[in-house]
Amino acid sequence: MSSAEANPMRPYLGRLAGIEDIAAGIKLFQVEMTGPEGQAAFSEYKPGQFAFVSAFGAGEAPFGITSTPRRGSLVEFAIAALGHVTNTLHSLEVGDPVGVRGPLGNWFPMEEIKGRDIVILGGGIGGAPLRPVVHTILDNRVDYGHVTILWAARSPDLLVFTEEFDDWRATPDLDVHVTVDRGEEGWTGNVGLITQLLEQVNPSTENTVAITCGPPIMIHFAFLTLGKLGFNPEQSLTTLEARMHCGIGKCGRCNMGEKFVCTDGPVFWQSDIVGFLEGLL
Amino acid sequence: MKVTTLDALRSWLDTVVGEYDVVAPRDVDGHVLYRPVATSGEIVFSYERPELSVKDYLLPATEVLLRVEKRGGEVTVEENLADRGQVIFGVRPCDAHGPATIDALFLEQEPPDTYYSHHRARTVLIGMACPQLWEGCFCTSVGGAPDDATHLDVLLRRVDGGFAVDTVTEKGAKLIAGLCVEERDGAPDAPTTEGEAVPVMPPDAWRPLFGDNIWMRHGERCLSCRICTYVCPTCRCFDVADRVVEQGAGITRIERIRVWDACTSTNYRRAAGGHNSRPTKPVRLRNRSFCKFRYYPEDYGPLGCVGCGRCIVSCPVDIDITEVLQDVAERSGR
Ligand code: SF4
Ligand code: SF4
Ligand code: FES
Repeated sequence: MSSAEANPMRPYLGRLAGIEDIAAGIKLFQVEMTGPEGQAAFSEYKPGQFAFVSAFGAGEAPFGITSTPRRGSLVEFAIAALGHVTNTLHSLEVGDPVGVRGPLGNWFPMEEIKGRDIVILGGGIGGAPLRPVVHTILDNRVDYGHVTILWAARSPDLLVFTEEFDDWRATPDLDVHVTVDRGEEGWTGNVGLITQLLEQVNPSTENTVAITCGPPIMIHFAFLTLGKLGFNPEQSLTTLEARMHCGIGKCGRCNMGEKFVCTDGPVFWQSDIVGFLEGLL
Repeated sequence: MKVTTLDALRSWLDTVVGEYDVVAPRDVDGHVLYRPVATSGEIVFSYERPELSVKDYLLPATEVLLRVEKRGGEVTVEENLADRGQVIFGVRPCDAHGPATIDALFLEQEPPDTYYSHHRARTVLIGMACPQLWEGCFCTSVGGAPDDATHLDVLLRRVDGGFAVDTVTEKGAKLIAGLCVEERDGAPDAPTTEGEAVPVMPPDAWRPLFGDNIWMRHGERCLSCRICTYVCPTCRCFDVADRVVEQGAGITRIERIRVWDACTSTNYRRAAGGHNSRPTKPVRLRNRSFCKFRYYPEDYGPLGCVGCGRCIVSCPVDIDITEVLQDVAERSGR
């Protein structure tokens, strides 16, 4: 028997079209969807959405999508080797089959925030889901005001998408500031926490939206600092990471109180999760 | 009322086993459990509350979702869906409320769960009313009753010389078309519902109690054994994993399975990298309680508890959800 409706737990098949080392222990996987259904499903997805990637035999895990459909049909994921599924993914080669289930979740309201200045705070691999936000702004530059990108990592070798910085910096009315918690030999850039950098840069709050992403603890402190600079919770957006098993609100794993990261998010206005974030810390 | 005799019921059940997967109360080494049966002779007709609910037959403890075959670089994926109908016989009323609770999330919230929908569609529930509340039962405090027919397809109630038969749904009527019944005067005795009424506060009364010491008081002695969650007819958390079932000669066969999970387990919220956002027993007990009485009703409608009392009688350190409910009522001062 087969199901009449599409089975949300069944992945579409894909093939690894490219694998790139982008930081220490972090690879960028480019997936070519091989069947018509998967191609249709991933012809339209939005910045901030996520998908489960299957390494068949090891399992599946959720990742923010780091590409935009406008820049090509390959679906990209930046993945750190941290567990069984991700280590297995890291052992795969170009041409190997994978499964992709999605796109899932909500997205950054790129339409709604048109015309506003934007501050982007990306920490470590947590910055990966913000790359489609940056690309969307770059590809529609006139739709957005001044853009400030603050990019951080624990150490220089953990900074992701550094090879795109030149491209970003060449964009009019856009600043990129980079910092690392710990420098290392040869590092001439900023050393310090992203929140310290944020205070230095001190972006104007007027008609501005702050967008952040990273581990819950970083988001927590980013919100605190943004608050200090005068940003109110209706001005700050974040995408949240959580452990997930279904992505469709059923498995229970990702709840924060009565909200679910997978179906109510992963993108939230700070004002919608006041009182909930603590549950993830 | 329509009445059938035990003999008629047995011979009808023996025709059903040929056509359906039949699950019914069975005595397994002194424990009454809903289990698959091959003949009516295996079924017990007089029992209290089976020790486990019927959840295992609709949302199995371990279920193969997909069969994946890798041949060189080629992958094929098959869905695993049972093709026979299923009859669950002797279902206690609370055990029909259990699936109805899960329906509110697995069927009614988009997207519906393919596997659960499939099991629901292929299953007919034949209920058996309770004559009384058993140890720990409090169905009457959460919208149920020992003879409640809601959410069943057929309800049987014991009467002199047999069982009164109430047909509840079309599906039930179709299934029991071949059952011998006779019309009789009178009505079955009402069950006794003696037992303490448990106060159940509405979802909004729970909100201010998140930081209360209720959770420490009840949760501190928890062993994180998860039994409360596994015996619960409404707990639905699951995990998904792959297992390799065969490997060799260029072919790998893999099953993607889902297994019951429990928010009461130590590592439930351990993230990749090791961070645990629900690191203590009290906060895990709090989540389980809030899930049932605040989040579930707020998000999906029904309460997440049908009052079966199984978690109470199963808990090795006597954590009692009705005591939690008492405390919540007291603290909220309503
Ligand atoms: S909770 Fe109610 S319906 Fe369930 S076994 Fe007890 S008395 Fe019967
Ligand atoms: S919480 Fe306890 S009493 Fe309520 S339905 Fe679950 S097992 Fe039964
Ligand atoms: S990932 Fe399953 S409920 Fe959110």
